[in-house]
Amino acid sequence: MRRAWAILAVPGMAWLAAFFLVAFYAVVAVGLGNITDVYDPVPHWNPLDWNIGYLLQALEDVLPGGRTWPVFVRTLAYVVVAVVLSLAIGYPVAYYVSRYATGRSKAALLILLVAPFWISYLMRMFAWTNLLAEGGYAADVLNTLSLDSLFSAVGLLDGEDWLGGQHIAVIMGLVYGYVPYLILPLYASLDRIDQRLIEAARDLGASSAGAFRRVVLPLSRAGTLGGIVLIALPMFGDYYTPDLMSGSPRTAMLGNTINNYVQGGPDKALGAAMTLLLSAFLLVFMLYYLRELRRESAA
Amino acid sequence: MSLVLDHLVKRYGDVLAVDDVSLEIAHGEFFTLLGPSGCGKTSTLRLIAGFERLDGGAITLDGDDIARRPPHKRPVNTVFQSYALFPHMSVAENVAFGLKYKRVSKSEVARRVGEAMELVQLGHLAERRPGQLSGGQQQRVALARALVLEPPVLLLDEPLGALDARLRIDLQVELKRIQETLEITFVYVTHDQDEALTMSDRVAVMKGGKVEQCDEPRVLYEEPCTAFVANFLGSSNLIPATVSEGALRVGEFTLRADVDGRTGDALAMIRPERVRLEPHGTGGENRVPGMVEAVVYLGFHQDVRVRLASGALVRCDVPNDGEAVEHSSGDPVCVHLPANCLRVLEP
Amino acid sequence: MSRPRWLPVITWVYVAWSLLPVLIAIRFAFNDGRSRTSGQGFSLRWFWTDPTLSVRNDPTLAAALEHSLVLAGLAMLLAVPLGTALAIGLQRWRGRGSGVSNVLMLLPLVTPELVFAVGLFLLFTSAFGFIGLGTTAQVIGHVTFSISWVVLIVRGRLVMIGNDVEEAAADLGAPPWQVLKRVLLPLLGPAIAASLLTVFALSIDDFVVAQYMASGADTTTVPMRIYSSARAAPTPALNALATIMLVLSLAALALAWLVFRRRPESLSGLMR
Repeated sequence: MRRAWAILAVPGMAWLAAFFLVAFYAVVAVGLGNITDVYDPVPHWNPLDWNIGYLLQALEDVLPGGRTWPVFVRTLAYVVVAVVLSLAIGYPVAYYVSRYATGRSKAALLILLVAPFWISYLMRMFAWTNLLAEGGYAADVLNTLSLDSLFSAVGLLDGEDWLGGQHIAVIMGLVYGYVPYLILPLYASLDRIDQRLIEAARDLGASSAGAFRRVVLPLSRAGTLGGIVLIALPMFGDYYTPDLMSGSPRTAMLGNTINNYVQGGPDKALGAAMTLLLSAFLLVFMLYYLRELRRESAA
Repeated sequence: MSLVLDHLVKRYGDVLAVDDVSLEIAHGEFFTLLGPSGCGKTSTLRLIAGFERLDGGAITLDGDDIARRPPHKRPVNTVFQSYALFPHMSVAENVAFGLKYKRVSKSEVARRVGEAMELVQLGHLAERRPGQLSGGQQQRVALARALVLEPPVLLLDEPLGALDARLRIDLQVELKRIQETLEITFVYVTHDQDEALTMSDRVAVMKGGKVEQCDEPRVLYEEPCTAFVANFLGSSNLIPATVSEGALRVGEFTLRADVDGRTGDALAMIRPERVRLEPHGTGGENRVPGMVEAVVYLGFHQDVRVRLASGALVRCDVPNDGEAVEHSSGDPVCVHLPANCLRVLEP
Repeated sequence: MSRPRWLPVITWVYVAWSLLPVLIAIRFAFNDGRSRTSGQGFSLRWFWTDPTLSVRNDPTLAAALEHSLVLAGLAMLLAVPLGTALAIGLQRWRGRGSGVSNVLMLLPLVTPELVFAVGLFLLFTSAFGFIGLGTTAQVIGHVTFSISWVVLIVRGRLVMIGNDVEEAAADLGAPPWQVLKRVLLPLLGPAIAASLLTVFALSIDDFVVAQYMASGADTTTVPMRIYSSARAAPTPALNALATIMLVLSLAALALAWLVFRRRPESLSGLMR
């Protein structure tokens, strides 16, 4: 009987095989393929025909000295800074809601924390373009507080236009866009921690900070790492946030490069090769996240 | 009408969950599979119900081989430990569930559901949802749901396991009453020895996927064949001993006992309530001197623990007749192990 | 234990920061004037009354709204049955190949959207050229990344339901398809509702896949429209469009809540 039920899995599996596995294989086939005289990609489906020329070129591009190297470094810096800032904001919020908030205010906070999930990401970015445009509320506030001169002084703002190729605007956009996705897994892992463990730690002589450092922090490690991976993975493939928050090549990320190759110009094979490199670079994170998901869905 | 399990084998990977189990259960018998968790009793039940695929052996009901049939085509029904009531259906709908596959008329369905609900004394709760019932009431619904199909054999998997002690005793009596009224075969799985002893006509004690001993409760208690059975049903003293030339030796003392043709190392088994505590130096056969190690007050009786010279510990139940035991720890005493209460078992 | 004062401050400041910009953008949708950076009176001009530029009267805006809803509807219709069946199948499939299938099912969740979109784009412009780009490709894309979510939601509920009720139904004589119809599907109701809602949200939120699978103006979705006009379009009609989209998804959420509030266990599914 059990075996007969497994038939139910066939359509879904076939769908995923056709449109996910084969789609990924298309990236391989194009990235390791060739192009025609009019720059149309010629995928090489047979591994025996693979041509590693584009892969080598993509690799040369992203290594030091290559033309995409600055973009790669910038992407890495953006993601690292955005993740650190997200943690700095997200951890205290998740900690407060899981530990201290009670009753109605906890329920209200949870709803407000989930609310961004129901607002399109693009709309949330778009809202900032309203605010940071010349004459926008946020730009006015920042300028009134003379934060513009402060940021200019430390090299984070170049010129007057907040939406004209500013690193700080893109990073702020990334944090704003992704921090809700970090807070929920953080909240889940902090909420699981038994309050009595902290009381036990205090009873055994730990200070409030000591109990946090020796009990809460280690127990929330898996949730924190999971949350970091959850937001870092899409950030590496992001091109729309820099496009909306800046639109300048000065703030282009790897996603922009791939997007330009694949959707824009004649370099689809190179774009596919770059996508392969990105996937390889992210493989460790993907495998970590996969392991966590498996563990959770098996439990 | 009889249920025959013939050399049943069930493997999970490398683990033999059911290891060559053969039993013959008569019509109308209250038959219990008793054992600790992991002994294979539930697996055996699930093999009969058809939830698990048999790796070897045969199951026949009145000569029909039912082992190859899927669960919904077997005439046996099950009462689950978790009750497994359908939460989206009312009590009456739960009870009527299986009748849909029995080709009975609507009026017949209503009549039989009503009867089954009366049988378990739940007639007034027909429209409730299972979630609104207490554990004991849910258990009755689960019972009615299975009984309404009038199965020749009812399988019960620790049906009282989730209930509190007092309710459990009430339901034990009721289960026995229902079983005797309907005259159907019950195959009952439990790890609770009291449950097994009070209700069963016969009990199979299981361990490691095998049946250790299968008999009436009295025989199991009085004449256990193995140390495991002796220990699992009631408490027992198992005194290391040797058998030579037809006599039982504990340390330097020789005891009279039925050694049943055994020689070499053995265990002398005696129930604590059969051990007599006597003053130090009392003469006569089967008396062994020792030293009181502890006296534990247990309310209705007291447990006196005596260390023998051989090193073995003998527990002795002294009924509480209102007077305190005159012994205290450190006192030399003599334990009397009557020959007709001693059993010699494999070590 | 004393609670640090600064924690609630950070929390509420964060909440304000995360939602205020959106509320302000919604406010601008009701502007009387053309400004998208400051409030100018109140009107429904950009929703309804402006003869050429309002969401109602600008065919490109209305079409984007309609297209987003069509995609979400089709994605729900396909992904939820596929995912539900897959979850039930995987739950029972314990033999060879089940490990691989479980990993394959989770892969779309861990793959960056851009990688998946590039792959599907290259596939539909090469080997699967007979499908090509356009609405069909967009639906396929949305269904593919939604299936995994449906499986996770439904499987969570299956684990909660346990095997017992199913075995009980079979034990009482129900053949497998009757077990599915009378026991399993009714009990999966809340999970299926949560799945529908999740797929709807994922689909209308998606930008990358929709953009890569798009074939022209008539396959533009609301997020695509926001992307292309955010820095260019001079009127609050875009704010109005985004506002309508937001209200629609909140309405879907509220509807689900109304239908299922009597069964609190289903809410856990919605919170995911």
